Amino acid sequence: MTFPYKGYAGYYLDVDLTKGVVHKKEMEKEWARLYLGGTGVSSRILWDRTTVKTDPLSPDNVLIVGTGPLTGVMFSPSGRMMFAGRGPLTGVWAESHVGGFMGPEIKYAGFDFIIFNGRSPKPVYLFLRDGKAELLDASHLWGQETNITTMMIREDHKDPSIETAVIGPAGENQVLFGGIIVDFYRAAGRAGLGTVLGSKNVKGIAASGSLGLEAYDMEKYLEANAREMERLDDPIWKDSLASLRKYGTTDLVAVINEIGRLPTKNHWTGFYEDADDIGPEIIAEKYRIAQEACYGCEVGCKYIIRVKGGKYPTEPIGGPEYETIMAFGSNCLNNDIESIFHLGKRCDLLGLDTISTGKTIGFAMELYEKGILTKKDTDGLELTWGNSEVQAELVEKIAKREGFGKILANGVRKAAEQIGGDAWKYAIHVKGLEASGQDPRAHQSIGLTYATNVRGADHLRSISCIEELGYPKIAADRFGVEKAQAILEIMSPKHKGEVVWDVENLYALVDSAVICKYSTMWPPVFYFDTFVNVIPALTGMVEWGDEKYVRTAAERISHLRRAFNHRIGITRKDETLPPRLLSEPMPTGPAKGGLPDLDIMLDEYYDFRGCDRETGYPKEMKLKELKLDFVIDELKPKGMIR
Amino acid sequence: MKEFITIDLERCTGCRNCELACSTVHTESFNPKRSRIQILKEEVRNLVVPMVCLQCETPLCQEACPTGAIVENEHGILYVKQETCIGCMNCVTACVYGGIAIDPKTKKAIKCDLCNGDPACVKACDYSAISVAATKPEGLHQRRMAVSSAFDTLGMNIEEGQE
Repeated sequence: MTFPYKGYAGYYLDVDLTKGVVHKKEMEKEWARLYLGGTGVSSRILWDRTTVKTDPLSPDNVLIVGTGPLTGVMFSPSGRMMFAGRGPLTGVWAESHVGGFMGPEIKYAGFDFIIFNGRSPKPVYLFLRDGKAELLDASHLWGQETNITTMMIREDHKDPSIETAVIGPAGENQVLFGGIIVDFYRAAGRAGLGTVLGSKNVKGIAASGSLGLEAYDMEKYLEANAREMERLDDPIWKDSLASLRKYGTTDLVAVINEIGRLPTKNHWTGFYEDADDIGPEIIAEKYRIAQEACYGCEVGCKYIIRVKGGKYPTEPIGGPEYETIMAFGSNCLNNDIESIFHLGKRCDLLGLDTISTGKTIGFAMELYEKGILTKKDTDGLELTWGNSEVQAELVEKIAKREGFGKILANGVRKAAEQIGGDAWKYAIHVKGLEASGQDPRAHQSIGLTYATNVRGADHLRSISCIEELGYPKIAADRFGVEKAQAILEIMSPKHKGEVVWDVENLYALVDSAVICKYSTMWPPVFYFDTFVNVIPALTGMVEWGDEKYVRTAAERISHLRRAFNHRIGITRKDETLPPRLLSEPMPTGPAKGGLPDLDIMLDEYYDFRGCDRETGYPKEMKLKELKLDFVIDELKPKGMIR
Repeated sequence: MKEFITIDLERCTGCRNCELACSTVHTESFNPKRSRIQILKEEVRNLVVPMVCLQCETPLCQEACPTGAIVENEHGILYVKQETCIGCMNCVTACVYGGIAIDPKTKKAIKCDLCNGDPACVKACDYSAISVAATKPEGLHQRRMAVSSAFDTLGMNIEEGQE
C-alpha cells in the first residue's frame, strides 16, 4: 500500500453501476494532502468527472459518498459523512451532510469514499464489509420506506449492527428534493441527492466493519484531541451547549423568533406569534423521552420523542430539528406541534427533505391565498394557512408525484415556472434551492451567505453566528479589536463580506474533515487552529501543522466549488436573493423594517475571495496561488477567469 | 474489594464513545468491534443495551475455558491471557450476559479488565453514564437500577429483591 496517511481507511470505491462492477482503489495521496477529505475531495472528483452538459439525473452524473480523516476517530462531533453530486433541484453544486453512525462504519469497513457512476439496470444496494464491497439486488427493497428498508437489510444479513444510508419512495419517484436517510431518522436532506441515487437505481448503502483506523501518532493525537475537547468546557459556551443538550435544535425556534428571523407565512415575515406552541419548552416537557448523540459526540443535540394518543400518535422516533419545525410550522402558520412531528416523520420515512417540502407547501399556500392557485389546481384541497391535514396529504402526494404533488415535487422554482403568472414572486429560493430557516432582513450576513452559497439558499456553507450569539472576544480574536464592534451589529453590512469569506473557508474544512457545525458554527468553538492541532498527529501530513497551509487548503476547496458552478454558467447575477428578501422590508416583529445591503457585502466578499466584482469570476493570480491551474486551463478559454 | 462497571441508561445517549476509548487503549486503534464494551441499539423501540463483563463472582466463562486462559490479574480482575486462549468460543457460549466476545482481528476472546482500575470508558463518557461500583449490595443495586429503563421499554417488571 502506497497511500501513506493514517486516520483514513486508505481505499475508495469506483462503482460502475451500468456494468455492475465495483473497483476497489487506493486513495489518492493528493486528495488528502490538498483537499483533506469530504467536501474538498468531492470538489476535485466532481470537477474531473462531470461537464457542463452532465444532466443531474442521467447516468453521466456521479454521486459521491464521502467521509473525512476525523470521521470515526473520537474527535467529538465527528460521526458524520457527506454526499455530493450535481444537484437535480438546482442544476449546480450539491452536497449534503449527515450525522449518526454510518460515516464511521464506512471507514471501519475499509473505505473513505464511494463514487457511483452510470446507472444500474435494476435496483441494487451496495454492501460493504471489511474491505469487500458488492452490489446486491434491491428489488425487494424498492418502494419501501426508509425504516423498513434498513430493517430488511439487517434481516437479510442477520446482522443488527449494520448501518445504512438509504432513499425512500421520494428518491425513487424522482421528486427533485429526495434526501438520503441515515440510521432511521438522520437526513442528508438537502439538494436532492437521494434522487440522484434513485436515478441510478441505487436504494442505498449498508456497512459493517471491524477493520478499525489507526493514528499516525496515537498518543500525540489523543493528547491533541483532549486539548480540543477542553475548549468545549470554556464557560463562554456554557449556555449555548446547555441548550443544545437540553432542547436540541428546537431551542432555535424561540431564540430566532426573538430576533425576528423565524421564516413565517412563506417568508412574508420573521416573527411568529404562536412560536411558543411549537417551541422548545412544550417539546421538552410533553414529548421528549431521551437524549441521543451521534458517534462519540459530546454535544448530543439529537432527541427522541413519543406521542401518545391524539391524531398523530407515534412510537419513539427522532424528534424534528429546528428547520423542520420552521418549514411546516411557522412557515405555514401551523401551530400544532403534534402534526409537525408527524410531517417530519413522514418525510424521513418517504425520504423527503423537510425544508424543501415544507417550503414548497408554504409557497403553494400563499399562491392559494393570492388566488393564483384554486381548488381546481390542487385536487380539491383547501390550501389554507395552517391546514395541517392538507400538509399531510400533500407530503404523500409529493412523494408519489401524484396529482398536484407532481408540480410541487419539482420545488418552488420549477413549480413557479409551470404555474406561471406572478407565482415566481413567491418562490423563495436561490439557484433553485428553497431557503432554509433564516431571514436576511433580520441578519445581514445571512443574506450574503444565501447569495454566495454554492448549493443555493441555505445557511450551512457560511452562516456567521458570532453576531447572532454575540461573542465579542471571538469577533476581536478573529477579525481584530477595531472591527469587532461593527461585526457584532447584526444589521450592519460592515465587514460582513470578510466574515462570510472567513467562515466559508472554515466550514470548507469542517465539511472536509468531516465534522459537525455544532461546535464550529454554533457555538463557534473550533477554528483553523483546531485542524493544525489534530490533523498532523492523526494523519502524518506534516504540512497541515502550518496554519497558512490549512487556510490555503480551505480557500482552494471554496474556489474549486465556485469554479464548478461558474463552469455551469453561474455568475454574480445568480448570487442574489429572491425579491421578497431583497426588497420587501420586514413587515412585523423585532426586525421590522430590515433589509439586507447585499451589494455592499458582495463587493467586499469578492475582494476577499479573490474574485472579480462584476462577474464573480475568480482572478487568475488567486487560482495560481491555490494550485488550481487545471481550473485556469479550462475556464480561461471560456472567459471565466479575470 | 472487587469492582465492576455499571451504566446508567437514563444518562446514556448511545454515542458509543466508550467503545472507541476502549479500543484505543486495548488495540491502539479506533475499532469499536474490538471494544470490550459494546453498545447495542434497537432504534425502533429506542432501546440501548450496553454489554460489558459483569465481573461475576461465579464466572461461567472461566469454568468453560479448556485452556485456563481466563485468569486473575494483580488487581483480582479476570482477564483473557491472549497467548493461552485458543479462540474456541466456549466462554462466549457460557456467558449468559454477553460479557465476553471474540476479537474479530485476533480471533481470541476479549473481556473487560477494568483497565487496571482506571477504565478508559468511564473517562471517555461525556454524559457520566458509566461508573465503577464495588461488589457490595449498594453497588449491585446501582447496577440494577441503572438498567431499569430498558426493562420499562420491554414491558418487564423487576421486583425488589435481595441483591
